[in-house]
Amino acid sequence: MPEDFEKEMDSVSISFRLNGEAVSIQVDPSESALVVLRDRLGLKGTKEGCGIGECGACSIMVDAKVINSCLTLAPQLDGREVMTVEGLAALPAGQSIQKAFAETGGVQCGFCTPGMLISSFSLLLSNPKPARSEIIEAISGNICRCTGYVQIIDAIESASRTLSDNDNKNL
Amino acid sequence: MASNSEKERQIDPVGQSFVRFGSWERLAGNARFCADIEMEGMAFLVAVRSQRHHALIKSVNSEKALSSRGCLGVFTSADIPGKNRFGIINKDQFLLAENKVRCIGDPIAIVAGETLPDAQKAARLVQVSYQELPSVFDPEEALRPDAPKIHDNGNFLGNRIIRKGSPEEAFRNSDVVVERYYETSHVEHCYIEPDAGVAFVDHDGVVTIFASTQNPHYDLKDVCDLLALDESKVRIIQSPTGGGFGSKLDLNTQGFVGLAAWILKRPVKMVYTREEAFLCTAKRHPLKIWYKSGATRDGRLMAADVRIIGDTGAYASYGLAVVSRSAVHATGPYEIPNLNIESKFAYTNHPMAGAMRGFGVPQIAFAHESQMDLLAQALDMSPVEIRLRNSLRVGSQTATGQQLHASVGIAKTIEAVKPYYEKARKQAPALKPHLKYGVGVASMLYGIGNTGVQNPSTAQVELLKDGSITLYSGAADIGQGSTTVLAQIAAQELNMDPLAIKLVIADTGRTTSAGATSASRQTYISGNAVLDATKKLKDVLVTHAASKLKASRSRMRLEPGFVYDMENVQNKASFQELASIMSRTGTPLKWQGFFDPDTTPLDPVSGMGKPYATFAYATHVAEVAVDTLTGEVQVLRVSAAHDVGKAINPENVRGQIYGGVVMGLGFALMEEFEPGKTESLKDYHIPTCADIPEIVPIIVEDFEPTGPFGAKGVGEPALIPTAPAILNAISDALGSRIYKLPANLERVLAAAILSKES
Repeated sequence: MPEDFEKEMDSVSISFRLNGEAVSIQVDPSESALVVLRDRLGLKGTKEGCGIGECGACSIMVDAKVINSCLTLAPQLDGREVMTVEGLAALPAGQSIQKAFAETGGVQCGFCTPGMLISSFSLLLSNPKPARSEIIEAISGNICRCTGYVQIIDAIESASRTLSDNDNKNL
Repeated sequence: MASNSEKERQIDPVGQSFVRFGSWERLAGNARFCADIEMEGMAFLVAVRSQRHHALIKSVNSEKALSSRGCLGVFTSADIPGKNRFGIINKDQFLLAENKVRCIGDPIAIVAGETLPDAQKAARLVQVSYQELPSVFDPEEALRPDAPKIHDNGNFLGNRIIRKGSPEEAFRNSDVVVERYYETSHVEHCYIEPDAGVAFVDHDGVVTIFASTQNPHYDLKDVCDLLALDESKVRIIQSPTGGGFGSKLDLNTQGFVGLAAWILKRPVKMVYTREEAFLCTAKRHPLKIWYKSGATRDGRLMAADVRIIGDTGAYASYGLAVVSRSAVHATGPYEIPNLNIESKFAYTNHPMAGAMRGFGVPQIAFAHESQMDLLAQALDMSPVEIRLRNSLRVGSQTATGQQLHASVGIAKTIEAVKPYYEKARKQAPALKPHLKYGVGVASMLYGIGNTGVQNPSTAQVELLKDGSITLYSGAADIGQGSTTVLAQIAAQELNMDPLAIKLVIADTGRTTSAGATSASRQTYISGNAVLDATKKLKDVLVTHAASKLKASRSRMRLEPGFVYDMENVQNKASFQELASIMSRTGTPLKWQGFFDPDTTPLDPVSGMGKPYATFAYATHVAEVAVDTLTGEVQVLRVSAAHDVGKAINPENVRGQIYGGVVMGLGFALMEEFEPGKTESLKDYHIPTCADIPEIVPIIVEDFEPTGPFGAKGVGEPALIPTAPAILNAISDALGSRIYKLPANLERVLAAAILSKES
């Protein structure tokens, strides 16, 4: 990239809803959503594991879909509804999922955890009673090196049961 | 006999699955990993790294970089105030290259910038000119006299010899002899958190380093030497660590951030890119293994002759530990009276290999467990039966002549998986014709703690004036749950809720050394240190309580926050009252515990000795479906039995087993780091949840008398039998065997074709 090109890029203004609150911010059009969330907005819960969309640690929810924030440009968030782990943690349904993860032993080092939670939340939002195979599909983009996934899958099953037992409408 | 009221008051935290400490902050997104730390005026670091395998550095030109916007400095070896050498066993690494580079990725300079892009841009402007040197990549070639010399002392890292009995005669007397050659590949740890560190100089002039580490007290020593600072002037605080698996035992970012913070006198942060974590941190050693086994007609192992050649890459890291461990574990969990084993490692211009979950044992287990199946096949015996027949038991001698006195649970683990094996044998699932079903079994032993060297742990337990308890341990919890387990051990002794214990963990400014989080040693060794400290405190509490309650010491019992008289439970003294009495009488409130496992060094000539105080044992059964058209292996089920002595936290143990099995599956089928080719997660695949089998964790508890409440360890054992069990299952399915890991599509397909032809 020529040096002056780097300098010349004008910042753009974007507005979106982040964890339920309106946000407006000037961003460099080449900045990733991950960098904006972490470094500009201070939401450190979302992690960077690879920077190329392979590990899923940076998963966030945009308009109810899970995306890799490392591969998403910040301007693409404009006008969207964005949720990170911090927002998930503030919702009763999110808390049910967190509780299930803790109790089944689904958290070891915890670096993949925020991304896993986002994928789990998004799954249960669209499919409150998923089959085990559907859970596996939903988190297959989130790599975990510690747990062997078993207790994470168990956690999502358990959260699904809790949420349907409560007939929870908060999702 | 405990009275009923005493039983009612018994909490028994040991054996209960408390939620792993730190889970909640991680679930909330509040855990501050190094990359998440922000500080006023923080600068960012980027390394300039070698692009040559082996070369002399002619010059490093920083002029352009220094004049680029936001560049705060370019540091080379000339800027290191202390000794530019470090390394966990051999001090053969340079923080920044001096006159030559030994592998691609060797650090040459560190560039600091106001922002990360500033540092990245300046780093691209640093010009390095090289004079290429001949390279060597094969460890056997590296040991030839005419090979290019990588280090001043040559390319020989070290060897380990084990000789006992008369192997030649034993082979002559064997009814069956099997001789094969095995190979394993470089493997990447692939923790999800790339290495990271933050450093600043605090108001007392202490270089304070937050690190993603398994080994804070080792980090401290090497950073002090690099910076020529006294240990009181450097402090390492372990941040939440996003997995380690051995690679975060090495000094990765700690030296860089320490140096830059010390020079710049402002906070600095360094976060490796995934590509850097792949290229510039340790790998699992690839081994070449020649293995010859002899057995009698009834399946008794008579002799083994084993040659192991390892490639430690450009630097030693934990190489010498892998040299020893691979030799010491070469027999597997079996008694073999006649041995001739030599393990020998060399430096090459490959990336450094170091510790990775198992220190060479997963590699050697692939060989010894393949051999067991080949012997069984030659003798027409069941693979389960030949293992049971040769299993170590109480009274047996290990490879190094160590007599086993207790907690030898290998046969129990085999018996525990036997029903799964037999059921699988009898009821093969109905599969399409191109899918072949197979069942395999594999076992292992694993020595807990470092091999034949002192590796003590220390801990403190303190009674505070408000009657609360604080536990201090230097043991780095990297997600496996050691902190939870240590708190449970202290809580068991004090009969209290582990959640009520305050914790100070892995901070060199506030804790003493617990040694490394490696070698599956923290539960056994640091657990014992914690128990020792807790017993001392309890002893003092009981003494003062007896005096206050005017009853004999033998009648004193503990319940949360109190010591009571078991014969008059209303007669009790609170911890708070006792703390106050202790302060007044000049009795220490903080007690130190210590434990060093009872070991002896290995004899350099015969290899005899007592390298470990205790061993963990395990057996896995794997069931697979092999696609003979594509080479794809689907692992259907792994039944994994582990003798852990005592499961302090059963859910933690199961977590280790699940994670170990899946990492073992990756080692078996897909993981191969090809130096020069593999760059990132796009070309290095680890198992996703779509790859995992049904896993049946089975906890076997063969009480270890020297362990804390009988416990041993499980972290590394969890992984070890999986790959050989899967490989034995593939061989069972195809009728032909694979001798090189990983058994990827090409190798499985080749084996499938071979089996069709025969």
